Amino acid sequence: MNKETVVSMWKERFSIPEEVFDGYSFFRRGRMIWAFSLPEIPPFRCESIGMRVISMRESPWKPTTYALQLWGRYARKNVIDLDDEMARRFFAGESLVMRAPVERGYVVVTHMGSVIGCGLYTPGRLISQLPRERRILEVECLQASE
Amino acid sequence: MGNEHLERYRDIIPDFDAFLDFMCRPLPVTVRINTLKTSVPELLSRLDRLGIGYERMQWYPLGLRLDTEKPGRLMEFHMGLIHVQEEISMLPPVVLDPQPGERVLDLCAAPGGKAAQISMQMSNRGIVVANDSSSARIVPLRANLERLGAVNAVVTSYDGRRFPQYTFERALVDAPCSSEGTARRYPGVIAKCSVKRSIDLQSLQVSLLRRALQLTEPGGVVVYSTCTFAPEENEGVVSRVLDLADLESFTIPGLRSSPGLTSWNGIDYGEELVKCRRYYPHENNTGGFFVAKLRRRLSADE
Repeated sequence: MNKETVVSMWKERFSIPEEVFDGYSFFRRGRMIWAFSLPEIPPFRCESIGMRVISMRESPWKPTTYALQLWGRYARKNVIDLDDEMARRFFAGESLVMRAPVERGYVVVTHMGSVIGCGLYTPGRLISQLPRERRILEVECLQASE
Repeated sequence: MGNEHLERYRDIIPDFDAFLDFMCRPLPVTVRINTLKTSVPELLSRLDRLGIGYERMQWYPLGLRLDTEKPGRLMEFHMGLIHVQEEISMLPPVVLDPQPGERVLDLCAAPGGKAAQISMQMSNRGIVVANDSSSARIVPLRANLERLGAVNAVVTSYDGRRFPQYTFERALVDAPCSSEGTARRYPGVIAKCSVKRSIDLQSLQVSLLRRALQLTEPGGVVVYSTCTFAPEENEGVVSRVLDLADLESFTIPGLRSSPGLTSWNGIDYGEELVKCRRYYPHENNTGGFFVAKLRRRLSADE
């Protein structure tokens, strides 16, 4: 996957500076774009390589919540910062009735400057795009305590 | 909780009655701050705002003991700012000390807390191969790595004993073990432990550690760790790979530990085994752990 194409996507939508992506490469598998730290894929039978960062299933392209959690803090536009109560409701999966000075489409949703994840903004409404497996993770967290 | 089994360690564990007492106490809730997504001051100010009390670990600046029952329900967990990880299980990656840009193997990686810690130590540069032989454990492994933002991680599912040829600078073998040291979290675990089980696990552990050493370049570091007290699974394993590697001493300021055993039940492991470290629950109010740091021999005479 052409790196410039991917970097320009982040730049156009969120004004994330190119340098943020220094040292990363991107490749496409099916309808997802993945980010990885090495230019070539290692010679293993891999279950996964790096991280899913963009879904091409939707039009326009949709950033993953995990990619925004990593790079969204460098965004200079299309960011919505929520207060404590709104953040709690967004995190619980609710749609929020609100107006924000952002463009229609996918936005970085933050709370106290830390990224919660991806939201979909249409004028007057912010819809949570947080991954549905959130609840599963909660159970796994107990097992993950090693 | 099956103290009869633990009685076999009365002569090797200092202050044994305090040890037995701690083994029955619940573990503190501990989390690691994920600097791939946040900073220590940012995370601490979030906890302050939430009114959640915390205590910082003396030996590890990214470790916190939290005053909350269910850290997995915190928004900060789902944001990937923290990972719920037992205090002493944060130790093996610290001993491994991976550097940005290196090639690092985590041979028994699920559920992924240590592999994600390694990614973080490497600032997402280079590559960490997070392997686990169990396909069922790959799902939580991938989920944790993704939530924690490990872009430099590759997940594989080989039988670790037959991991394909490659050259790593460092490797972690956090081996499957009888898990006696997790009894504070899983009280039923001791009932399943026996000398026979430890001896059965030993050959698997030796094979995994030998494979990791073969995959590591001369001069490279391999850390072997378990969460058990059983010498058969600890010194008994390490003593059998010293043809490939040399043991190295290490100290972690702020964390109490005991030296490895040089012999056990009439079996001589060798004097250099004192360089291993044993971590007992009552010494640091953690789970139990064993850690050995090995350096791959320069002249490989295999």
